[in-house]
Amino acid sequence: MNIELSEMSEQLRQRRAAAIDDGREAATKISIEALDFFYGDSKALHTIDMKIPEKRVTAMIGPSGCGKSTLLRVLNRMYDLYPGQKAVGKVLLDGEDILSPDVPAAALRRRVGMVFQKPTPFPMSIRDNIAFGIKLGERVSKSELDDRIEWSLTKAALWNEVKDRLHSSAVGLSGGQQQRLCIARTVAVKPEVVLLDEPTSALDPISTARIEELIDELKSEFTIVIVTHNMQQAARCSDMTGFFLLGKLIEFGQTSDIFTAPKDERTQDYITGRFG
Amino acid sequence: MTVDSSTAPTVSSVAASLTKRGHVDVGDGVFRFALNAAAVAVLVILGAIVVLLFKGGFPALKEFGLGFFLSTDWNPVTEHYGAGVMLYGTLITSLIAMVLAFPASLGIALFLTEVAPERFRRPIGTAIQLLAAIPSIIYGMWGFFVVSPLMASTVQPFLTSIFGPIPLIGMLFSGAPVGTGILTAGLILALMIMPFITAMFVEIFTSVPPVLKEAAYGVGATMNEVFRAVTIPYGRTALVGAVMLGLGRALGETMAVTFVIGNANRIAATLYSPGASIASTIANEFPEAGPGSMKLHALLELGFSLFVISFLVLALARALVRNRMEG
Repeated sequence: MNIELSEMSEQLRQRRAAAIDDGREAATKISIEALDFFYGDSKALHTIDMKIPEKRVTAMIGPSGCGKSTLLRVLNRMYDLYPGQKAVGKVLLDGEDILSPDVPAAALRRRVGMVFQKPTPFPMSIRDNIAFGIKLGERVSKSELDDRIEWSLTKAALWNEVKDRLHSSAVGLSGGQQQRLCIARTVAVKPEVVLLDEPTSALDPISTARIEELIDELKSEFTIVIVTHNMQQAARCSDMTGFFLLGKLIEFGQTSDIFTAPKDERTQDYITGRFG
Repeated sequence: MTVDSSTAPTVSSVAASLTKRGHVDVGDGVFRFALNAAAVAVLVILGAIVVLLFKGGFPALKEFGLGFFLSTDWNPVTEHYGAGVMLYGTLITSLIAMVLAFPASLGIALFLTEVAPERFRRPIGTAIQLLAAIPSIIYGMWGFFVVSPLMASTVQPFLTSIFGPIPLIGMLFSGAPVGTGILTAGLILALMIMPFITAMFVEIFTSVPPVLKEAAYGVGATMNEVFRAVTIPYGRTALVGAVMLGLGRALGETMAVTFVIGNANRIAATLYSPGASIASTIANEFPEAGPGSMKLHALLELGFSLFVISFLVLALARALVRNRMEG
C-alpha cells in the first residue's frame, strides 16, 4: 500500500516535472501591467509588464538596485507603510487590481505572504510565532490551531527539529531554522502567493539547499516569486525568470531559455558574469 | 604581482612605527589608570553615602526600633519620630505618577515613532525633551499657582462626581477638594517624569528593526496588532528599565512635590488629603534640625530609607528584566 502510494507520488512528480518547463501553460496568477514605481521623486521601476504563472516558481534576477526587490514589495503593498513611495499602474491578482485603495492591505498580505532576506522571528515562542498569523485573520479552536502549526512546520521541513520545544523562544533557533520558521509562519496563513526576498542570502550552503528543496515542495500549492542574487539558485529552482536592469524588465521567459539562450545581449552578459 | 619597492615596508619604517606604538602604550597606561580611578571613585562615593546615611540615622533607628517605619507620629516637641506618613506619601505619589505617566508615555512614543507624519516628529520630539529640561522648581510653582486651584475648583469635584458613588474607589476621591495634596503631587510628578519616560520609549521603539515589523504586517497584521505583538515585546526589557528609571526619579523628586503635597503629617484614605513625602519632609525640616538632635537623626534615617527604596526599585527592575529575558 505504501509502496503504491510512493509510486503514485513519484509518477505525479514526473508528470509535474514534465509540466515544469512550461510556465506559459499555467494560468496567470498575477498580471503586472505598465507598472511604474517611485521613491519620492526618483523612479525605481519603468513600465513593468509581467505575467506570473500560478503554482510555478518565478525568479527575479539582476544586479543590486535594479528594482527586483522593489517589485516584490509592490506585490503585497509593503511599500504602503512608507510615505512617499508610490506605485502607478496595475497589478492584477486573479483579475483584481491590488493597488486599488479599496483592497485592504492586511487582507491582501494574507493572500500574498512574504519571507525576508534576514530571518525575522518574532520575539515569542516558536508556537506563538506561527499562531500569531493564523489568529490574526481566523477564529480557530485550539486543536485546529495545533494542527495548522504542525502542518505548516511540516511543510517548512522544521517539525521534527522543533516539535519538542514549541514553547521555547524562536530567537534561540539557528539561522537556517529561523528562516524555515518564517516560511512556516508565512505558509500557515494559507496564502495563495509566497514572495521570497533573497531568502537564502544570510544562510550557509546546507540551509540554502534545504530551503531550495522546500521551494520545490511548496510550488505544488503556492505561486512563488523569488528574488535572488544567486543565479545558480534561479536556474535550479525556478520555472520562469525575469532579468531586471536599472528598473526595467529586460527579459522574461522560461528559466531554461533565459539561461541557455537569452535573447538580449545584456541578459547574456549578466548571466555569464560579465557584470553585476 | 610585483611589489613596488618604494611602497613596501622597509626595516626603518617598521622600527619607526614600533617606537610610535611604544609611545601609545604609555598613553594607554595613563588612560587605563584614569578609567580605573573613575570607576573606583563611583564605588567609594556610593559606599561613603551609604555608610554616612546609615551612621547618621542609626541613633533614630536605635531609639524607635523598626517601629520608626510604621509610626505616623512626627512630633518635635515630644521628640518622637516615625516615617510612616512619609513612606506612604512617597510611595503613593510615585504610584499615581506611574499610573498616569506610563500609558501617556506609551501613547506619545508610539504616535511619534509610528503614526506621526515625518515633519511633525522632530518638533514634537524636541518639545518633549524641552519639557524634561524644565527645572523642577518651575513645575512646583506652576503646580502650586495654576494646577492646585484648578484641581480644587474643577478636577476634584468632577472626579468625586464620577468615582464618589463607587464603593472603596469612591473613598479615594472623597473629602474636601482643597487642591494641594497627594493627588496633585502625583499629577505633577507624572507630568515631570512623562517626558523622560517618553524620550526613552521613543529610543526603544525606533530600535525595533523595520523588517521585523514588516514581517508582522506581512502576515496581515494591522498597526495596532504590530504594536502589541512585535514592537512592545521586542523592547519589553528596555521598557521595564525605562519605567523603573522614571519611578526612581519620582521617588526622589523634592521641590515640585514640596510645593503641592500640602506638607501635613497625616495619612487619610482620600487622595485629596495633604500629606508629606520623604523628600519634602527632609527639605522642609532640615534647616530646623540642630546638630546632634534626634530630629536630625530621624531625617537622616528617612534619607537612608529613601535610598533603600530606590535601590529596591532598581533591583526589582533588574529582576523583572532578567526573568522576562529567560521567559
